[in-house]
Amino acid sequence: MFKTLRIILTSALVRGILGQLIGTALGYGFIAGLRALRGAETPWIYEPALAFGAIIGVIGFLIASGVLTDWLKWIVGRRTPLRHGAPEGKPEWSRYFNVDYNHKVIGIQYGVSSLLILLIGGIFAIIFRIELAQTGMQWLNNNQFNTLFSAHGIIMIAAILGGVGAMINYLAPLMIGASDMAFPRLNAFSFWVSVPAALLILSGLAVGGWDTGWVGYATLSLRAPVGMVLFLLGFWVVGFSSIAGSANLLVTVATMRAKGMSLFRMPIFVWAAVATSIIQLTATQTVGVALTMSVAERVMGLNFFDPSGGGNPILYQHLFWFYSHPVVYVFVLPGLGVISELLPVFARKPLFGYRWVALSSLGIALVGFLVWAHHMFTSGMADALRVPFMFSTMLVAVPTGVKFFSWIATIWEGKLPKNPPTPLLFVLGAISVFLIGGVTGPILGTIPTDLHLHDSYWVVGHFHATMFGGFIFPFFGALYYWYPKMTGRMYNERLGKLHFWLMLPAFWVMSIGQMSVGLLGMRRRIADYDPALGIEGTQVLITLAALVIGWSVLIMLYNLVFSQRRQPVADPNPWRSRGPEWQIISPPPEFNYNVPFEVVGDPYEYGLADTTYIRDVARASVPSGD
Amino acid sequence: MRRFRHFIIVAVLVALSTVGLRALFSVILALPRASSAEAIPIDALFNGHYWMIAFLFSLIMVMMLYALFVFRRPADDDSDGPYIHGNTVLEIGWTIVPTVVVLGFGVWGAITLNDITSPKPNEMTVNVTGQQWVWSFAYPEQGDFASSELVLPVDRTIVLKMTAEDVIHSFWVPEFRVKQDLVPGRETTLRITPTEAGEFALRCAEICGLNHTQMVATVRVLDAAGFQAWVDAENAAPAFADMTPEDRGAFWHSAEGLGCVACHSLDGAPGVGPTWQGLYGRQEELEDGGTVTVDDPYITTSIIDPNAQITAGYLPNLMPQNYADQIAALEQEIQAAEGVDIDIIADLIAFIKTLE
Amino acid sequence: MSVVNPVPAGNPAHAPSLAAAPGAPHEAHVEHGLPHAQQVRANRLGLWLFCFSELFLFGALFTSRFVLWGNTRPELSQVIGLIATAVLLLSSYFMYRAEMGAAHGDRKTFLRGALLAAALGTLFFIMVVVLEWNVFGLEANLFGIEIFGHLSTADGVYGGVFYAMTGMHALHVLSGVVFILIIWWNGRRGRFTPEDHWGVEATAIYWHFVDVVWVFFYPALYLMGTVAG
Ligand code: HEA
Ligand code: HEA
Ligand code: CUA
Ligand SMILES: [Cu+2]
Repeated sequence: MFKTLRIILTSALVRGILGQLIGTALGYGFIAGLRALRGAETPWIYEPALAFGAIIGVIGFLIASGVLTDWLKWIVGRRTPLRHGAPEGKPEWSRYFNVDYNHKVIGIQYGVSSLLILLIGGIFAIIFRIELAQTGMQWLNNNQFNTLFSAHGIIMIAAILGGVGAMINYLAPLMIGASDMAFPRLNAFSFWVSVPAALLILSGLAVGGWDTGWVGYATLSLRAPVGMVLFLLGFWVVGFSSIAGSANLLVTVATMRAKGMSLFRMPIFVWAAVATSIIQLTATQTVGVALTMSVAERVMGLNFFDPSGGGNPILYQHLFWFYSHPVVYVFVLPGLGVISELLPVFARKPLFGYRWVALSSLGIALVGFLVWAHHMFTSGMADALRVPFMFSTMLVAVPTGVKFFSWIATIWEGKLPKNPPTPLLFVLGAISVFLIGGVTGPILGTIPTDLHLHDSYWVVGHFHATMFGGFIFPFFGALYYWYPKMTGRMYNERLGKLHFWLMLPAFWVMSIGQMSVGLLGMRRRIADYDPALGIEGTQVLITLAALVIGWSVLIMLYNLVFSQRRQPVADPNPWRSRGPEWQIISPPPEFNYNVPFEVVGDPYEYGLADTTYIRDVARASVPSGD
Repeated sequence: MRRFRHFIIVAVLVALSTVGLRALFSVILALPRASSAEAIPIDALFNGHYWMIAFLFSLIMVMMLYALFVFRRPADDDSDGPYIHGNTVLEIGWTIVPTVVVLGFGVWGAITLNDITSPKPNEMTVNVTGQQWVWSFAYPEQGDFASSELVLPVDRTIVLKMTAEDVIHSFWVPEFRVKQDLVPGRETTLRITPTEAGEFALRCAEICGLNHTQMVATVRVLDAAGFQAWVDAENAAPAFADMTPEDRGAFWHSAEGLGCVACHSLDGAPGVGPTWQGLYGRQEELEDGGTVTVDDPYITTSIIDPNAQITAGYLPNLMPQNYADQIAALEQEIQAAEGVDIDIIADLIAFIKTLE
Repeated sequence: MSVVNPVPAGNPAHAPSLAAAPGAPHEAHVEHGLPHAQQVRANRLGLWLFCFSELFLFGALFTSRFVLWGNTRPELSQVIGLIATAVLLLSSYFMYRAEMGAAHGDRKTFLRGALLAAALGTLFFIMVVVLEWNVFGLEANLFGIEIFGHLSTADGVYGGVFYAMTGMHALHVLSGVVFILIIWWNGRRGRFTPEDHWGVEATAIYWHFVDVVWVFFYPALYLMGTVAG
């Protein structure tokens, strides 16, 4: 007991947090102290000091946690061996609290923090949903409400980015037969830098919140409460994680695939990971610029957005959406990859039109770069600009459609099990939910209808459906599906099904309810609504549904945590998959494949007897999978 | 042949489901009343989209559930499904057909957009200003008076010329369907043609800070005669020069004036800023610990440099910092129009003094 | 508890089909890493991807300049601009020499090139920050030419864009100088060989990249558009 405590207290996580606190205090003290020396009246209440402190705090976290140590040693010319395994003399589990370079450990670190953050964001949603159940203000005031939904938005998005990181990190190297990512230290950095970022955003709540939503539009961002600065900086720091992680993945896929694994023989999830990473690598920079400019304008008095100095508030929106539209495909592409990955396994049929599905991920990513202004149809853009954006927006439906049709063709005449196991349920649920999210997109992309729908709860319904269908459901499905791979044990099937059957209907009620009230005139981001709209009944339903979703998620967490001890040891390949990761023991060895494998066939040849996807380079031909 | 039968069943189910869903949408995804000419083509487009949503959703869901229930294998069946790798013709088909469909919707959308935004004969201009968290409307063609409610004649196309003082706001009356942001530093326009008399609610649709929720205004649509009567009554309002400072102060406080009402109540009700009831002469505690007595200089500073002294319990940065400019501009305007010098801050102080 | 396992556990048909080490799943303390040549290939690709990513950062700033300034620009000291640009381009040349030196095992060329490149980079940085930004608020002229800039952060969008573009670029120059000094210091200790000098190569690529960005920034800031009154 005491030992456990000591291990936790000396872990990188705790050291990092301490470092962040100290760094923040130093940075804050430095600027405020300078002001005190200059004899300012209230030197200790000063926003630039807060901003500076926040940045130094992040650096403090990174140094104290030790992610930078190896690099610092390189500077002075020391070579550092890649440390593996638990720190000297500490138990295996302590790896997860410390800087570890193994991609599977990092993947799980991402996954667990993503779930934690999801809980926080979910609790916020539930708090403000209860406020919205009735008209009139019950237990929040305007400022609390504004802060809660803003925090809910950005925290959930951080949770998604973490979940995406988890899936990509854990699965991609395993699937391509690599022993790890190309840059293990950079990989650790990507994860650890997102921790102080999350702490920054959360501390924004403590200092007074902010009220711009997750989009942080200028010029409101220049006048919002102080929490704004921490939000902007936290969002900005998350960007480092995205950029470093995506570059790492692209290099890994480009240079570390197993022998014989040509691009069109990669498991389909890897294609999704590649498309995702291309978006993250590039688009993140522009939102970085937008956030930097906002901080500079707010804190240092530079002018970009405030029209009173000649600035242009719409510029912020362009820079922001140039990232934030493509990033919605970051949220969904890995999830859609999971769907494409699981369907053939359960239907016992090849993935229909593998190449088209693979290329449609790239297609979505590329077209996704051309549509950002559809979030700004009402901003006062000239028609000459918004009409082309309407057409490009409509076109994203096409590559997405290719995926849907290919999925249907995959399971058509396939042999789905009569009693679908939880991962399959989540995949099918995801298809239905993402479908409704997707088809409510073009109506937003058509300008005249968007003029009614913009900033209404229809949009809220649309994006919860796309994000649940494209991320939450597939992610949960992936957690169940790869649970035996990660832990060596089977999850509890009955609880898994309970989770699904609570969450799916509740989600449908919530999302359709949101669309319905939106059409009738419910605006986004309001703490209270007019009883004259006649939507109180629906609002109550939405709130109840939210509570059910919340409980169902708790059931899943219980399942994931306790199945590790209580459930029977799982079969190494319980789903009879041909995927490389299922051909080794669970959990996989430290370096994945002790003997490299070579690819000699196509990945999804279910239904064709005696075909081989991979085989050990060393051994003679051993049929894999089936 | 078996295959063929599956497809026929599916086609029938999809058709039934599409029609059923479309009918269901009329109930659960109903639009509010259509009270403007613009709403008609927009609702037609909504209808088209609803059909498409109903069809696509039915198509995919029916086929998915059909595959799940019809083709599924019993628990002890370990065999694989048929080996079907793909089909290029199909793939090209389901790339081309949706492309054509969505582009068709794009064209429909572009035509509708042109329809509702192009200039119409006999338009009337109203200037709309949004400010945290009040609306004000000015009628340049009817005598250039200001109003805190939007009053419009029926069946005439109104061109709203809109701007914001501080942050972005958005003009939305659901019954009119169309929406337009008000952006600081630029003018945006929106055309609406109310088609029925009645009262509507204008609600700000873009998050604009603390009281975004409460940023609402009344829209009244009147018949031509009623509108004219309202205009005449507004124009009969006395010139500023003829009003007492107290009355002028009350006017500046209102939404038509400087919009102080958005944050400062007159009856002691709590708000974003301190209430004005009993304000004059009161001892105020400040955020930095000091106290002041509310007098002329204090009020003046609070208006032109609001962050200088923040009353305890209130937040900085909420009050617009540009009142000095706004007031100077107004004073100049009045000087130009009526030839008198008016001291707006003095008016406000006189008004506050009356609020015991 | 009931488990609905789709396949009965222990089915021999589903035993691992790839060789897997028996025993502890996480075998600790095994050295691993890519073979050197492969690692360098990966590094190179990674660096290029990073530059590609940065392209969007600078591109966004560049675009903002055109949105906010349109066809105008503030009055800036043409002399400083020209000299600073020349200095930076020259430093790229020395960086190239340094890399060649490292690649051919010519330690002297390498060290001299690196040091000169760093010095010129620093000079560039000083010209931007001290002269053009005029952080010390000085006033002087040389042969009738103002040598300190007079744009300030309070000068509306002119100040904003100018400080953002030069600031972001200067930050990269500064980090580049730090990298050059690091490789110089390591080079003096003989840590690079013709076969293994990835550090030098990386720094050189980064440095050239930062220079190329300036080639676009310089005209956007100093040459294009008419001077706004
Ligand atoms: C995971 C996230 C995700 C995904 C995948 C999408 C996908 C799409 N989104 Fe969504 N969107 C968001 C997340 C997402 N969105 C968020 C978060 C916001 C709000 C941001 C904020 O303001 O806070 C938003 C807002 C948003 C707007 C702005 C609304 C407004 O504020 O006014 C628009 C407008 O065009 C839009 C359109 C689309 C379209 C056309 C797609 C398309 O990609 C959908 C394509 C899919 C299909 C169409 C279904 C399947 C296709 C077929 C079956 C083929 C046949 C189809 C046809 C013939 C149509 N979205
Ligand atoms: C992945 C992203 C994601 C997810 C999962 C969710 C999940 C939920 N969202 Fe979220 N939402 C966003 C992303 C997301 N949201 C974004 C980006 C915005 C825009 C913000 C903005 O406007 O800027 C938004 C805005 C938004 C609004 C509009 C706010 C407004 O405009 O005023 C609403 C309103 O209903 C809402 C509701 C919910 C609910 C009820 C859930 C539920 O599904 C949550 C379920 C709960 C959990 C998953 C956690 C588990 C629960 C517990 C631990 C608590 C258990 C306790 C009890 C049951 C008592 N969200
Ligand atoms: Cu004004 Cu919201
Ligand atoms: Cu979008």
